[in-house]
Amino acid sequence: MTDLAPMTALGGSLARAQSFGALAIAENADLALASLAQRRGAAQPVPMGLALPGPGLWHAGNGMAAFWTGPGQWMIEAPGRAAEDFAGAVKQAAPECSVTEQTDAFVAFEIASSAGAAPILSLLAKLVNIDAAGFGPGSATRTGLEHMSVFVIRRAEDRLAVIGMRSAAGSIWHALESAAARLQGE
Amino acid sequence: MLIPHPLLGLRDAQEFTYLGDASLIHRPDGMAENAAETFFDYVYLRDNPAGVHRELWFHEQGDRSWLVVTRDTTTHEILGAELARDVALAAKGGAQ
Repeated sequence: MTDLAPMTALGGSLARAQSFGALAIAENADLALASLAQRRGAAQPVPMGLALPGPGLWHAGNGMAAFWTGPGQWMIEAPGRAAEDFAGAVKQAAPECSVTEQTDAFVAFEIASSAGAAPILSLLAKLVNIDAAGFGPGSATRTGLEHMSVFVIRRAEDRLAVIGMRSAAGSIWHALESAAARLQGE
Repeated sequence: MLIPHPLLGLRDAQEFTYLGDASLIHRPDGMAENAAETFFDYVYLRDNPAGVHRELWFHEQGDRSWLVVTRDTTTHEILGAELARDVALAAKGGAQ
């Protein structure tokens, strides 16, 4: 029988991680994702006790997090639950909503700074055309990164996440790596 | 060029794709008696004003909403933006 081995979005057997001065970029292979859309006229759900955030925002609670992706639409994240049927659990918690499994459609990169907010702000300014100063902790938005569509989440002053198309994992890593390496040289 | 998204604030126009005149929202009834003439108007006859123009923009690299953007075609000044859904619902008298 064929011996099958799992691999991450970047093709490795382990999630990739690399440091560039104060910035550390890590592939987050364990993040479960499910999209949730509210049906027309229905009340806004509170899946598993998680309050869903408004436009442009991200909110964490109960070991999960959610960010707004469009009017009446959210992405629900669950760290460490990529191997479970997380979408099934969300659907059970919000049966009146449309829930779709997204874990294997996206790749998540977590960026951590060991020197406070400044390196994160410099990286944001290099990567995406959004106002870095107005993109404080708890902000999340979809935008363009080198012609690819990505979600950018400011998880904390010194934490940033970039979630993009899984098939473009290598290109997103390249964009992040290049920007971080240039910042290191400055 | 920045587009003032009604939900997300000022966003780079590069995140959007352009469709055309906002009158495209008002698609005629294809089953009506005079559907051929009204669709001829709808598809081919479009005003091309030099000045203030209302047009449909899609926030493709964003929240995927359609906007009705009011733009001055001579200066590219953006005068306002509304959710196309709100515009369409208002035209139908607010009925969902």
